[in-house]
Amino acid sequence: MTAVPSPTGGPVISVVDAGIRFRRNKRGRRNFKDLFAGRARRARPGEFWALRNVSFDVRPGEAIGVVGRNGQGKSTLLKLVAEVMLPDEGSVGVRAGVAPLIEITGGFVNDLTVRDNVYLTAGLHGMSRAQIDSRFDEIIDFAEIADFVDTPYKHLSSGMKVRIAFSVISRLEEPIMLVDEVLAVGDRAFREKCYRRIEELLDGGRTLFFVSHSEKDLRRFCTRGLYLDKGALLLDGPIADVLDAYNADYPPKPPRAT
Amino acid sequence: MAGLVSSGASSRSPASRYRSALWLLTTRDLKVRYSTSALGYFWSILDPLVMSGIYWFVFTQVFTREVGEDPYIVFLLCGLLPWMWFTGAASDSTRAFISEAKLVRSTKIPRTIWVFRLIASKGVEFLASLPVLAAFAIGAGATLTVHALLWPLAFLLQAILLMGIGLIVAPLVVFFRDLERAVKLILRFLFYASPIVYASADLPEAFHFWAAFNPLSGIFSIYRAAFFPDQLDWFYVGVSAAMSIAFLLVGLLLFRRSIRAVLKEI
Repeated sequence: MTAVPSPTGGPVISVVDAGIRFRRNKRGRRNFKDLFAGRARRARPGEFWALRNVSFDVRPGEAIGVVGRNGQGKSTLLKLVAEVMLPDEGSVGVRAGVAPLIEITGGFVNDLTVRDNVYLTAGLHGMSRAQIDSRFDEIIDFAEIADFVDTPYKHLSSGMKVRIAFSVISRLEEPIMLVDEVLAVGDRAFREKCYRRIEELLDGGRTLFFVSHSEKDLRRFCTRGLYLDKGALLLDGPIADVLDAYNADYPPKPPRAT
Repeated sequence: MAGLVSSGASSRSPASRYRSALWLLTTRDLKVRYSTSALGYFWSILDPLVMSGIYWFVFTQVFTREVGEDPYIVFLLCGLLPWMWFTGAASDSTRAFISEAKLVRSTKIPRTIWVFRLIASKGVEFLASLPVLAAFAIGAGATLTVHALLWPLAFLLQAILLMGIGLIVAPLVVFFRDLERAVKLILRFLFYASPIVYASADLPEAFHFWAAFNPLSGIFSIYRAAFFPDQLDWFYVGVSAAMSIAFLLVGLLLFRRSIRAVLKEI
């Protein structure tokens, strides 16, 4: 089971001229034309491009940090790479399996036990029963909820919920990891544990695609940065350069007491 | 860390991933339904049982029945049980995306699974309710004929029809929420417009031809033929098959064209 995603060392993710547009007003009146919007190249009135003309390649093992203010398309880009959204123009090619740490608790079912939930979520992300069997204890240990394996998910505390969810997704043996700001939740000790886990995975050769507002975290994990502003990719370069450019455009506020 | 990255999911074929994801979600739906209620399985047969009880009383005790065949309770159940599958799956598919929005937003599995899992889980419930039919058939002394062998065909046609309807309804509801209520209304109408409490042959002469264009006519005629061979009408079955396949094709096309917009909307 060696898994160099592409034998030639070519990109694992290639985004070419990708663009996606949304309605400005979610409550606007719809008609059948919206439904079959297809891939027309122009935005109709009431729509805006959340991302446009974005192109970049990611090679196996790279750690990419996405930088930008809120609403500039960071999460949308992550969703395109996760292929849970489809671009309206251009293309997003992902040539290896993806472990998406996006809305990680989304697949968990309140009425089922932790055990059932682990099998369900890991299974939906492509693990076979045998694979899950062999990692089950590891997953539970990492989440530190050994006593709650047969408890219905809804009875867990919110911290435990996040822990088990992170634990499952981070155990997926996929070459690409997508991390949205999920880790803002949970206590400090567990967050540090998650970060160590991400580092471990990076050392193991995973490709990381990381969206965060935390400069510290971006510098810690990423080697390369993508700076998004107003839906366009302004800069693609070493993370330090990207952060400098971002800070020059939007000077950080005086340090807060965190 | 066990060495380098191993190709977790990518090592399995797309078809096997599809099947396993579909199965996972189907069993999840069933598990949730049965683990949260004390009566569990009983609920899925209680509804058709109560309905049959009512119709049996109304049509054999109150009115003088001129429709259907004897034993009427078996005749009813042959239509009602598959109807429960049909109506359950069709009305659930209005919420196929909405009820799983979080999961749809975060999990990349082939998107038709969000619809097909509903048809599969209701289909499993239908199969699980068949012992009830068997019990009544034995109790009422209905004889099973060789036509029972056609059941897999009826099952297949109904599955195809439901897949088509689900693929059409699920994305449309995301855009037009009113459709959720419209579907409920249509289903209520369809209950009486389908041969459930009566047989297609009981319709006035003028409707015989048109009844064929309700795809359920052909499908139910096969189910019924297991006990009442006269009910089988190959013309109805042929039209049903053609319509079911047409529904599926339209559904696949519409689903493909609209999925991009659906994913943005939820």
